[in-house]
Amino acid sequence: MSRLDEPRKDGLGRGTRRRARWAPYVFVGPAGLLFLAFSLLPIVIAVALSFQDTATLGDGEWVGTANYRTMLGDPLLRTALLNTLVFTIGTVPTAMAIGLALAVALNRPLPGRGLLRALFFVPMIAAGVVVGVIMSWIFNPDYGVANNALAALGLGGLPWLTSPSTAMITLIGVVVWTRIGFCMVIYLGALQSIPAELREAAAIDGASGWQRFRRLTVPMLAPTTSILLILNVVFSLQAFDVIYVMTGGGPGFSTTVLIQYVFRSAFADARMGYAAALGLLLVVILLVFTLLRQRATKRAEELL
Amino acid sequence: MPTHSAPAVSGRGVSRRTFIAVAGISVAGALAACSGAPTGTRHLRLSSWNIPLDLESYQLIADEFVAAHPGTSVAVEVTTGQFHQWFITRLAADLAPDIIRITPQQIGRYAANGSLVDLTGAVPPEYEDDYSEPFWAIGARENGLFGVFQHTDNFITYYHRGVLEEIGAEAPSSLAEAWHWDEFLGIAGEAKKLTGAYGFGYGWGGPETAYRWLPIVYQNGGAFLGDDGETPSMDSPEAVEALDFGRRWYAEGLVSPANMSKSGGGAVARDLFLTGQIGLLLDNPESIAALDEGMPDEWGTAPMIRNTGEASDLGGNALAVTKSSKHPELAAELVAYITSRAKVVEFCKRGNWLPARSSLDASDIGYDRHSETMQRFIDQGSTIPLSMVRAESGQYFSSLNSVFADYLDLCFLGELSPAECGTQMTEAMRSVTTR
Repeated sequence: MSRLDEPRKDGLGRGTRRRARWAPYVFVGPAGLLFLAFSLLPIVIAVALSFQDTATLGDGEWVGTANYRTMLGDPLLRTALLNTLVFTIGTVPTAMAIGLALAVALNRPLPGRGLLRALFFVPMIAAGVVVGVIMSWIFNPDYGVANNALAALGLGGLPWLTSPSTAMITLIGVVVWTRIGFCMVIYLGALQSIPAELREAAAIDGASGWQRFRRLTVPMLAPTTSILLILNVVFSLQAFDVIYVMTGGGPGFSTTVLIQYVFRSAFADARMGYAAALGLLLVVILLVFTLLRQRATKRAEELL
Repeated sequence: MPTHSAPAVSGRGVSRRTFIAVAGISVAGALAACSGAPTGTRHLRLSSWNIPLDLESYQLIADEFVAAHPGTSVAVEVTTGQFHQWFITRLAADLAPDIIRITPQQIGRYAANGSLVDLTGAVPPEYEDDYSEPFWAIGARENGLFGVFQHTDNFITYYHRGVLEEIGAEAPSSLAEAWHWDEFLGIAGEAKKLTGAYGFGYGWGGPETAYRWLPIVYQNGGAFLGDDGETPSMDSPEAVEALDFGRRWYAEGLVSPANMSKSGGGAVARDLFLTGQIGLLLDNPESIAALDEGMPDEWGTAPMIRNTGEASDLGGNALAVTKSSKHPELAAELVAYITSRAKVVEFCKRGNWLPARSSLDASDIGYDRHSETMQRFIDQGSTIPLSMVRAESGQYFSSLNSVFADYLDLCFLGELSPAECGTQMTEAMRSVTTR
């Protein structure tokens, strides 16, 4: 009997072994191809596009780093970056804090708890454009519900979306409203995975409710908070539809954020190369943020 | 008993290899069927805005064309989402429709960058004789004809009958009698006192329609771009004076801050008119249906306001053939057919549009309702200046329109004085035209 004919110790035949060797590639293959076609390739094309001057896709003229140099002296980009920062700082911690508070509240026995959880999650399901249109009506200073409610209380109306000083705050409020349900659901899942024994032990040791929350729940939620933070920052950097519908980036430039400027550069201004460069700037911002956050999380875990 | 059975079929049924092979062939066949591979029929695709009546009209006209052209077929599709995004991506994939319905403000970029086909030769030369110079200029360039203007619309003044009666003002009935700026602001001020809210509204439809305010600049003898169609001229004294006029709308509380070029577009002005918060509305024919439903017999119309000059908004659509077309000659023939006098009548009657052809008036179209109002719009169309048309249908206009929206907002909000706005806007426009 030759060596090849000998049965293997694992008891698997040659065909089975070959299939076993290829199986992971077969499983990963379709997803990998899709990733290659719809993610990796477009990224490579976008990088190439960022070094071109072109009004349409294709047929571009190579201009080296001209688009990146233009970015340095573009005042509208600076405004858009600042607005993006304000929008992100305004939406992310607020949505996460309210989401956590709601999760803690709805994690205890409460009549209608299931219904409340669903209600808080509903805004997350609604399409951004629909939310934008409805909110535009609600915050219309002349016939909107918001100012009518203020008038019913004997208060004066507010220029919710029509003043550069209030439009961003209103937008942040609307986006927070759409996002708290998502944060709540994720936190709720994480809260339910914390063993009850730990809380009971802390209570027996005399820890107050606040101390249990501060010293036990919050640290146990750290990985969830980390993921939520990254996701929320990504959502905020990509927030387009609600802003586009509600303010169009106005009044003036007061709500023009980076992703809107990318869209405008690409399609209104027909500067595909510049838009690609701006898009890559957005990617770099996200990457840097994610890396910093991961490093911070790792350091926190080491300290624990 | 057959001497040999098909190898795919075994005693256990269809083998995996056979199944995969059959599935592969089926998918390939299905994809081939969907690819529009030649079948002998010359197929055209025409894309229009999602207006059900218009889609039906195009299909009806196309069906007549197909009946007269055996071996052809035409499908009417919907232009979806944001136009430039939709069109640029389809052009890049060489999947743009053969014929595109496109606005005067959108056509310039694509005519300049070779995305549209020259229709010279396919469109009968006598067509030009039935068009005003401005309307023909929408598709015509020095190097060819890249679109034929099919239908138009513009702005006139709507007024609330009760409000005007209480003020004691009489609405002008002819273009020559149109309200001048100061006269109009005087009446708007009175209307504001009566409504208790604002005087009038302006029919913007979102940031992309900021250009609808350009007629105000031209009414004062100003211009968006110079005679060469490329030099920004919003810093001229006439243009700055027009900006100052616009600034007064908001400073004097005559127009709601929610009704501004960039923020608060949509149908804000119309909603304010319908809810009695304004007494006057400068808008296009799209308002007619809503006013008929919301306040029948309570509204009337007058010509668009004017100052030293006349001007109104340039609305409407042209038809153009894209470079993706596999049958550009046939597509051009269909464009000529749809824009023929008889078919323009049919299309405008069904969809309540204004004809772009000069020889047609409301009685020729035979509108079912408001024939007098539609004639007012048709007459107003003659005030659209050629220089404004050239500016709006120029190659840079989409970018320039964004700049215009930005600075108009800043001026109206009081963030910039009209003079500062004129200077800064011109500078920003220059950075676009010298790119």
